[in-house]
This record gives sequence, C-alpha cells and structure tokens, in this order.
Amino acid sequence: MEILVLFVVLFLLLALGVPVGFSLLGASLALFALIDIPMVVAIQRMASGISVFTLMAIPFFIFAGDLMYRSGIADRLVRVADAAFGKVQGGLGPVNVGASMMFGAVSGSAIASASAIGSTMVPLMKEKGYPADYAVNVTVTAAIVGLLIPPSHNMIIYSAASGMGVSIGDLFLAGIMPGLLTGLMLMTTAWLVARRRNLPRGIFPGWRAFMRAALYAVPGLMTAVIIMGGILSGIFTPTESSAIAVIYTALVGTFVYRSLGWRGFGEAAAKSVRTASMVLFIIAAATAFGFALALLEVPAQLAALIGFMTDNPILTLLIINLMLLALGTFMDMAPLIVICTPIFLPVAIGAGVDPVHFGIILMLNLGIGLVTPPVGSVLFVGSAVGKVAIPALVRTIWPFYCTLLAALVLITYVPWLSLALLGAF
Amino acid sequence: MTMTGQTSNWLIRVSAAGLIAMTAIIGWQVFGRFVLGSSPSWTEQASLVLMIWYVFLAAAAGVHEGFHIRIELLETMSSPRNARRVRIAIQMFVAAFGLVLLVFGSQLVWLVRDHVIPSLGISRGLAYLPLPISGLLMAVFALAQAKADRPPAAAEDR
Amino acid sequence: GMRLSNVFTAADTHPTDYPTVQAVDYLGQLLAERTGGRLGAKVYAGGQLGNERDTLEITTFGGLDLNRVNAAPLNSIEPLTIPICLPFVFGSVDHMRRTLDGDVGEEILASLTRHGLIGLCYYDSGARSFYNSRGPIQSPEDMKGLKLRVPGSDLYIGMVRALGADPVPMPLDEVYQSLAQGVIDGAENNWPSLESGRHYEAAPFYSLTEHLFTPEVLVMSKISWDKLSPEDKQVMRRSAKDSVPYMRNLWDAREASSREVILAAGVEVNTVDPAPFTELMTGMWDEFLTTPQQHDLVERILAQRES
Ligand code: NA
Ligand code: NA
Repeated sequence: MEILVLFVVLFLLLALGVPVGFSLLGASLALFALIDIPMVVAIQRMASGISVFTLMAIPFFIFAGDLMYRSGIADRLVRVADAAFGKVQGGLGPVNVGASMMFGAVSGSAIASASAIGSTMVPLMKEKGYPADYAVNVTVTAAIVGLLIPPSHNMIIYSAASGMGVSIGDLFLAGIMPGLLTGLMLMTTAWLVARRRNLPRGIFPGWRAFMRAALYAVPGLMTAVIIMGGILSGIFTPTESSAIAVIYTALVGTFVYRSLGWRGFGEAAAKSVRTASMVLFIIAAATAFGFALALLEVPAQLAALIGFMTDNPILTLLIINLMLLALGTFMDMAPLIVICTPIFLPVAIGAGVDPVHFGIILMLNLGIGLVTPPVGSVLFVGSAVGKVAIPALVRTIWPFYCTLLAALVLITYVPWLSLALLGAF
Repeated sequence: MTMTGQTSNWLIRVSAAGLIAMTAIIGWQVFGRFVLGSSPSWTEQASLVLMIWYVFLAAAAGVHEGFHIRIELLETMSSPRNARRVRIAIQMFVAAFGLVLLVFGSQLVWLVRDHVIPSLGISRGLAYLPLPISGLLMAVFALAQAKADRPPAAAEDR
Repeated sequence: GMRLSNVFTAADTHPTDYPTVQAVDYLGQLLAERTGGRLGAKVYAGGQLGNERDTLEITTFGGLDLNRVNAAPLNSIEPLTIPICLPFVFGSVDHMRRTLDGDVGEEILASLTRHGLIGLCYYDSGARSFYNSRGPIQSPEDMKGLKLRVPGSDLYIGMVRALGADPVPMPLDEVYQSLAQGVIDGAENNWPSLESGRHYEAAPFYSLTEHLFTPEVLVMSKISWDKLSPEDKQVMRRSAKDSVPYMRNLWDAREASSREVILAAGVEVNTVDPAPFTELMTGMWDEFLTTPQQHDLVERILAQRES
C-alpha cells in the first residue's frame, strides 16, 4: 500500500512534467505523511544527501570541462584524436569510449567520468557534426566501465556491506576483464551505430600535421597526466583530483594558451554552477526518496519473492538481475549496494555464486541503473553537459543499453571472466 | 529586467563565487597536506557547507531560468490552451514544494541550532539555512513564472 | 503504516552481523517477550538510513525511534559526552565497563534528555589503536610526519596533532583507496573495524596504543519515549540494560575472531608502552574540558582506575 502511494505519486508528478527533483521530493513527502514521519526528516535527508565529499567531483569536473572548452585545451585535444582516428567513420565515438574508460578507471567514479569527459568531448563532437544525443549516450554508458576497472570505491562499499570479508584486492582483480570486455563491446557498438547513422568521417591530415596537432595539445594532455599521475602517486585522492583539474586548466588557459581572462573564468563558473546544481538538487531529493524506499524494505520484499518463485540457480541469477535492474531505475548506486548486498548475496551464494563474482555482477547491474531514467545521476550529468533532454537521449540509447545488458549476461553466466585472474596471483 | 530576473542573476553570481571558493579550499587542502606536511582541519567541513549553500541557491535560480530537467511530453501533446494549464499546474506544484522547503527547512535550522559543526565551531543550522531561503525563492519564482506563463524548462535551448 | 505499529525503527551504521546490530535485535526480542508482542524493534543496519550524525538528528526529530551511535558524534550535541571520549582516560576495557555501568555513565546518559534523546545504555567498541603502512609504532617519535586519517572531529584532530603526526580528516569510505595509493600512511580503529574495512591489506602494521575506549551509545527519540506508558518505559529501560551483557559477550567473541583473521593475514602487531603517549595526551585534555562539570566527571573516571 505504502509502496504503491510512493510510486503512483512519483509517476503522476513526472508525467505532468514537474521537474524530476521536485517530483522525487513530492513522492517522499506523500509517503512521510502517510507513515507519520516528520516532514523535517525529508528536508534533512536532502541537505545531507549532498553533504558528501565524493559528490564534489560533479561540480569540479563540470567546471574543469567548461574551462577546457573555453580555453581551447579541449579543442586541441580533440584535433589530435581526430587526426589519429578521424579517418574511421564515427571514429570519435570509440575514442570517447576509450577516454571514458581511462578516466573512469582512475577516478573510480562514473559521475566524475561523465562530468569530465562529457564536458570536454560532447561539445567538440557536436562541433565535428556528431548529433548531441549520440555523443552523450556514448559518454554516459562508457562511464559505467570505470566502475568495473579498479580502483572503484563502490567495490569497497560492497566489501564492507558483504560483512563476510570479501577481499578488496580480489574484487579489484576480478573487475579487470569484465571491465575491458564491456569497454570493447561499447566501442564496437559506438562504431556500428556511427556507421548506421552515417556519422561524419574525417581525413587523415598527414604525419606532419598530426605531429603539430600533438605538440599543441601537450599542455592539455598534461591534464590527464597530472590527474592520473597525482592519484596513482598518492599526491591527492580522486575527489581532490577534480579540484586540481580546475586549478590546472585555469592556469593553462590563462598563462599558456592565454585565451581565458577573468571574464571567461567567471562565465565558466556561472555556467557550471547551473549544471551542477541541477544534478545535485536531484541527488538531494533522491536521498529523501531512498530513505523512504529503505524504510519500506522494498529490496527485502523482492528477495523473499525470489525464494518463493524458484530454486534453479540460472533462473535465480536472472531474477536477481532483473530485480536489481528494476531497483536501479529508481535508486542510486551506493545506497543500493548497502541495502541489497546483505539481502541478495545469501540468495546468490545459495545458487552457487562466488561472492567476488557476485560483487562484479552487482557493480555492472547497478551501474546500468545510473544511466536509466527516472533516477540516473550519470544520465542527468550527460543530459546537462550535452544539453539534450532525457527523452531525446532515451530514444537513441537502446543499442547501448542492449550492449550493457549483453555484457551483464556474459559476466553473470561466465564466472571465469571475473575469477580467472584471481588464481593467477 | 524584472525584479525576479535580477534576483536570479544575483543568485547565480553568488553561487559561482561559492564554487570558486570551494575550488580554492580543496586546492589548499592538497597543498597543506602534500607540500606543507600539515593538513588543514577545517577544509573538509567548510567545503561541504559551501556546497549545500551554492547548490540550493543556484537551484532556486533554476526555477526562474527553467533549467531543471523534466519530462515535457504532456505539454507538447496538449493543445496550446491545455499546455498553458499544464504549465500553471507544474508551477503550482513547484511553489508548493518550495513552501515545504521554507517551512520545514526553517524548523530544521531551529531544531539543530545548538549542534556544532566539528572543526568549524559554528551552528549546524548554518549548513541547513540555504534550504528555507531557497524554498522561499523557489515559491516566489514559480508563482511569477505562472503569472507570466513562461515555460518551466526547455532543455534544448538552454 | 509502520510508525503506527509498536515496532520501533532503529538505525545502525554497522553491518547486519555486527555485535551492536545483534544486540538491538535481541533488545527487540526481549521487548516482544516482555510485552506479549506489543512492542518490538526492527534494525536498519549498514547505514542505509544515513550516517551517525544524520540519524542522530532524525532521531531527535522523532523520525526514528532508536539509534545506535558512537559517543564521539554526540560531542557536538552535548559537551558532557566529551570526558568518555578523551584519549587515555580509560586504562582498560574493565575500567571503561565499570565506569559506564556506574553513576558516571548514568549522569552522561541523562544529560542527553535536554537534546531530545533518551540515553538507554552503552555498548562496547573495544580499544582503538593506530595502524599504518610504514612500520611499527613504539613511541610517539615513530609517529612524526605520519599522515593519519581521522574522523572529522576536533578531538581526534587534536589528539593526532599532539602526538606529532599529521591528522587528515577524511570520510571512512575513502580510506582504503587513500592508504593503497599513499595519500595517507595510516589510520586508527579497533580490531573488528580494521578487519571488516580490510584496511590491513594496505596498512600491515598495527600498534596497540589502545588510546581510545570510546563506547557506543543506544539512544531513543524523546518524542517516541513520551508516547510510552510508565510501565512500557520500565520495560524499555530494563530490556536495554539486559541487552548489554549479551552485547559484551558477542563483542569479546568478535574481537577475538577479528584478531585471528588479522594475525593470520600476516599483519605485524606490536604492544606499546602507553606512558609517553599518556603524558602527551593528558596535556591536551584541558583544551576540550571547558566546564567544572566535565572536570568533575574526568576526576571520577580516573578515580575508578585500578591502582
Ligand atoms: Na575504476
Ligand atoms: Na536509474
């Protein structure tokens, strides 16, 4: 009954056209009124939902991306990529996947990856004649790969939530092959979609021009070196790296390329704060909504349902995956890991699944939830940086959803992909 | 420019300054730890409080500018007259939720007024103060938009 | 709705199998037994309803009935909780348990009432010690220049600084990766947390400084409390107290098993002479003790040390 109220109110508000954040807030308020929880709790959940250190990566990378765009850093980077891969039709699609994989791998955050790559690649792909929806769809789905390739702080959350000592080191190793596989599959899809939609093809400008483009791009390329090197050598955390990226791009834009004045800097900040507040306001409201879902024990009720339906291992895994996918459409990843792990892990172990393997399944499955409406923070970031409405994105994202689902099926039913490397070390 | 437009612009400017300040604070945190070998203790909490402030102030401006993501299907399917009704209904909901933020946000600030934010030594209420302020602004902006009948959001032409 | 029934909602940040969660579960069973099923408790474990500071606020608002938190986050709400959170104020687990079971413990629980919380009982959190990736800590000199993660609390920051190391305030979920990449050199915690967070994989030196015995506290929302009949309040208080020995047994077993896991993983564990540490610590106490009442509590705690 309570669950029904929560979802009916949400759908009615969304369907009327009330902004997503306000719809989530409205549904939570309706439920709180029904089960006698003070309204002030919903407001507190909103504020503390964004009082989270790792979320700072969203405004920072959006800001850094906009600075890169205004100062011409991003333009020079893409010219290199274009020179190298432009000859392939739609070549920037797979390039974007590769960039997202590298960035997501190091930062471990799909949101950071979508903010960083989205703010730089999407405007430039649009300039090169790629449709915005394609550019955003490639970016947001590729960002998910970073959840699988280590390091990944979501795996650390899983290890703690499992309460049974799943080694973080094992999880990191187990994520490598599934991550690379998913990335390669997405690259292939990006290329096939580009051919089908007849996206632009560049001309190889010759080695001289390529070298010159590469030379001009060096300060921009250093952004990646500084971020990745700084994280890997322990100078700063992945979250802090997002602030360093802002400072570095502002300095390069001002002193090296001399294309960024105070005015441009202020305009970039104003533009970024709009995008970031739009995304974070939804995340704030989603936290109040998530509190309601947790109180109603929605995941536990679903797990009870599985035991009722089947004891066949293959079917059990299928049903777990479907339920997680359904939950992922409405809730964000970290709270879902915390709530679902203690409930679904025992069911999975009962079906003969290794806890490390289950962790990898969980990462990809809940990662897909980050790019599905109505609650998908990575999709929101993409929509905001690419300036494409969600329905327009969803109309053409299907090939990428299908690819992610195919990868999920492979990773679910071929445990070797996750577990092979564990024996090797 | 209208009064609401000026207020909205001013909010964006203050929020942008907040984002720049947050960048400086985290930059200082890294510099302190790695270069000076002494981590500033206040940076984590200060940047978190700052983020709540600028997110909610800019989110209020978003009601005036119409940058909040929403599903526009019903409006585009309706006749011009009904579309106008839909837009007014949406703004009424936004105004109502803004008032909820104002009323219960104020209550929140009051209830935690003597809780202290560690390492800053200020009242926890100051971290929550932007919510009622933002709620009030959201309600005012939404009512003004309904009166002027400007579309609540248009993602494509942002 | 669920809030209309008499099953109390309880929040805990620890995982389902952790002794504090089990103890509140047990408390719920006791309530059910003693009221013929009229009352009970349902624990939402794993921090799914928010971190400790958040759920504490929600509890004072009446949005949650019960909340198990560490005593440290109560410091920013009620200054009288500071004395039991001071480093080296307790000399052993026995000393801590004896003090909290007596009038000092009761006085501190009672001080929470003016903040909308009913303090029901204390649970154990064992002793916290430092672990790091560089080498064993024998004396405060070995801590010079170490970057040590602390929770964002003035007391922890002051403590690590007084020991000559660099305190780095950082949320818990960033610690593992930061240890592995060398952003920080170490942190401090008890045996079960070192095990469940698996931080020892990246920081294999655990030095038993046992600097903090900060207990866990079970609080109830005053709003929910005021709705109970006098008899039910009695049952609630008694059942909470009765869950304490149950919790302590679970705790001792859990600590032993965590110790086994950590030792088996090859972590180098060393004991430490507390004297030089204690000297540096007691110097910083006065920074946090601002009222005569706090000083009085500290003196009564110290008076209960075994001679
Ligand atoms: Na990663
Ligand atoms: Na989703």
